Amino acid sequence: MPFLASLLTRRGAATLNWLRGWNGLTRFGAGAVVEALTPSFYNSATRSVVQKQIYFTAWQILPGYGLFAALLSFVIIQIVVSKARDFGLSDYALEMTMRVLVLELLPLITALFVALRSGAAINTEVALMNINNEIKALREAGVDPMRFEFVPRVIGGMISVVSLISFSSIVALVLAYLVVYGWQLSGFADFTRVIAKVFVPLAMFGLILKALAFGLAVTVIPISAGLNAPQKLFFAPISVLQGMVRLFFVLMIIEVASLALQYI
Amino acid sequence: MERAPVRAPLIKNLEFKVGLLLTLTLLVIVLFILYTLYARGAFERARELILVAPNAEGVSVGMPLSFSGFPIGQVARMALTENGEVRIVVEVKEKDARWLRTSSVFTLEKGFIGGAKIRAFTTNLKDPQLPDRAERKLLTGDATEEIPVLIAKVKAILENVQGMTAPDSSINQSLDHVRTVTERMTGEYGVMEGVLGGPDKAQRLVTALDRANSLLTTLNGVSLKVDSVLAKTDQRVFGTDGTLARVDQSIAGVNAILGDVRDSLKKADAILANAQQATANVTAITADVKGATADLATLRTEVDDSIRKVNHLINEINKKWPFARDVEIKLP
Amino acid sequence: MLADGAARQHLLDEHPQAAQVSVGLPLRANLSVLENICIVPQYRQNLGYEDAADQAWGLLGLLGRTDCAFKRDPDLDHEERFIAKLLRAVVLTPPIILIDRPGMLLPDTHYPPFLERTLDSLEGRFAQCWIVDYQWNEPLYAPR
Repeated sequence: MPFLASLLTRRGAATLNWLRGWNGLTRFGAGAVVEALTPSFYNSATRSVVQKQIYFTAWQILPGYGLFAALLSFVIIQIVVSKARDFGLSDYALEMTMRVLVLELLPLITALFVALRSGAAINTEVALMNINNEIKALREAGVDPMRFEFVPRVIGGMISVVSLISFSSIVALVLAYLVVYGWQLSGFADFTRVIAKVFVPLAMFGLILKALAFGLAVTVIPISAGLNAPQKLFFAPISVLQGMVRLFFVLMIIEVASLALQYI
Repeated sequence: MERAPVRAPLIKNLEFKVGLLLTLTLLVIVLFILYTLYARGAFERARELILVAPNAEGVSVGMPLSFSGFPIGQVARMALTENGEVRIVVEVKEKDARWLRTSSVFTLEKGFIGGAKIRAFTTNLKDPQLPDRAERKLLTGDATEEIPVLIAKVKAILENVQGMTAPDSSINQSLDHVRTVTERMTGEYGVMEGVLGGPDKAQRLVTALDRANSLLTTLNGVSLKVDSVLAKTDQRVFGTDGTLARVDQSIAGVNAILGDVRDSLKKADAILANAQQATANVTAITADVKGATADLATLRTEVDDSIRKVNHLINEINKKWPFARDVEIKLP
Repeated sequence: MLADGAARQHLLDEHPQAAQVSVGLPLRANLSVLENICIVPQYRQNLGYEDAADQAWGLLGLLGRTDCAFKRDPDLDHEERFIAKLLRAVVLTPPIILIDRPGMLLPDTHYPPFLERTLDSLEGRFAQCWIVDYQWNEPLYAPR
């Protein structure tokens, strides 16, 4: 019995801890969104942090990521178009590539890429800041760390993800056109018709909402994971691990939810 | 105060780069949204076309309406009507509306694989354009269903054609008859022979006409005699009860009948003249045969009629004319 | 100039408005010394980066330490780090500056004369400066 009791206690404590983590995450996310929508939030310092975040998350990786997105899109479009031709379904090839690439795959891959790169970096940095007491130091110096360090990162991260998704999607659409119709304008009317079929208002709205949700998750979850870490140096890797796992699940849940909303 | 020598040591042109990125992103998003709106025809006037189908299986909103393989419109919405049919509203862009005419036919086709297709067929592009919100039937049927029906129909048509061209077919028989008729027409009595079926019958008609002519002269004689009889028996008749009036009537009738007979004979003359002309040109004959037959038939009935009337009149006169029983009228 | 362990904590808690210079309050590790000083006026007074940088550069010039302006925390020696923290506190011209345990901030320096020199250079940028140190270090300070 004592064994069982201690097991239950530990399990219960772990569950509570887990719930506390999600609670902190939600509070932080909501707070960040509210701050971001407050005009007085923006000042010289926060603007500069937003700019830096966008620079590091989007501008720096744009050429490389654009190239990668183009390569991936090209390969997938080729496969879909040639297979569709084999089965005599060429009419649906373009629609299929648009749905697969632009509506689903590219947003998700972009979010995962940013999560791996910037999300992990932000998580580590915030965890170290927290452990090093830099957060408290900022507060002592009269700078609100929430406003100065975290919310700008959330805003910058969201803008970056939306920006990367838009650019890679445009690249994919242009490539799809070129693969299907070649270097000529004659396919434009047909292409436009397929666009009209795929990008109905609901899908468009869903795509924008999904991009924003991805951007929010990619920054909010690592920051809150870093903030929730106990102030001991050896918790830094644990905090990053937890943050990344949580981020992965949230990204997948967003993706599944968007799929379910659109197709069910 | 001394100025700081370097501005942002870490990133050059940070603000410019971020600004550029933001502007481009916004531009891309806005342009793409505008493009999708354009693609959905938000900037273009569209006509609505309502297709009524018994079954809309496989039809979905956004499905294209294709004409000659080109999409010219798409299904905007669908609804069930009161009587269980499906109303499919198709939006057709104004610039593509010219492909749809009042005589256009719309079909819903289902293939073996892939979705259904709505297609428009316009055979005559000179017909008036289909107006806005026009209602048309959507002919349904899938490829597998249609083929046997089509084959059966084609078979029936082919059988008919075969029956027509067989040696004992009615068309051939008719052609044979036409040939005999035209052969006869080239005979002594021309069209008459052709119409009446042989030289002897034509002969008979001619004699009938001759007799009618002689009858006419006889009738002339009769009327003269009647005149003289009237003159002689004036006072006898005068004063007796009502006879005079009746006789007057009868005479008027006789005159009218004689007029009729004369007209009929004139017509017969005209037809005979026609027939003579016709014999000169064989092809013209075949064309005129129908008219000629109709004319001859009426002539014949008129002649018969006249003769019957004359007969009747003479009987009447005999009844009412007690003194002239010896007057004999020979009828043909 | 006070002293002692528990009394020190009490003092810190009693004067939250005092701008502290302490071992427990590090610089932002990914920002240079100049930026660490800049962000305070940038954030508090919405000062443009250029103006804030000029202000910070001026303060560093007063102390003759402009050479470390673009170094980051790990590259600084103890004196430079102390100067950076001090200037971060001074830049807003607060009423009280509280230097907590200078012996920990400046382990390699005979710090009382160093502090004296530094604070004299910044004359007029703050009303008072309190130095909190252990009582056993009292002999280090010259009597006033």
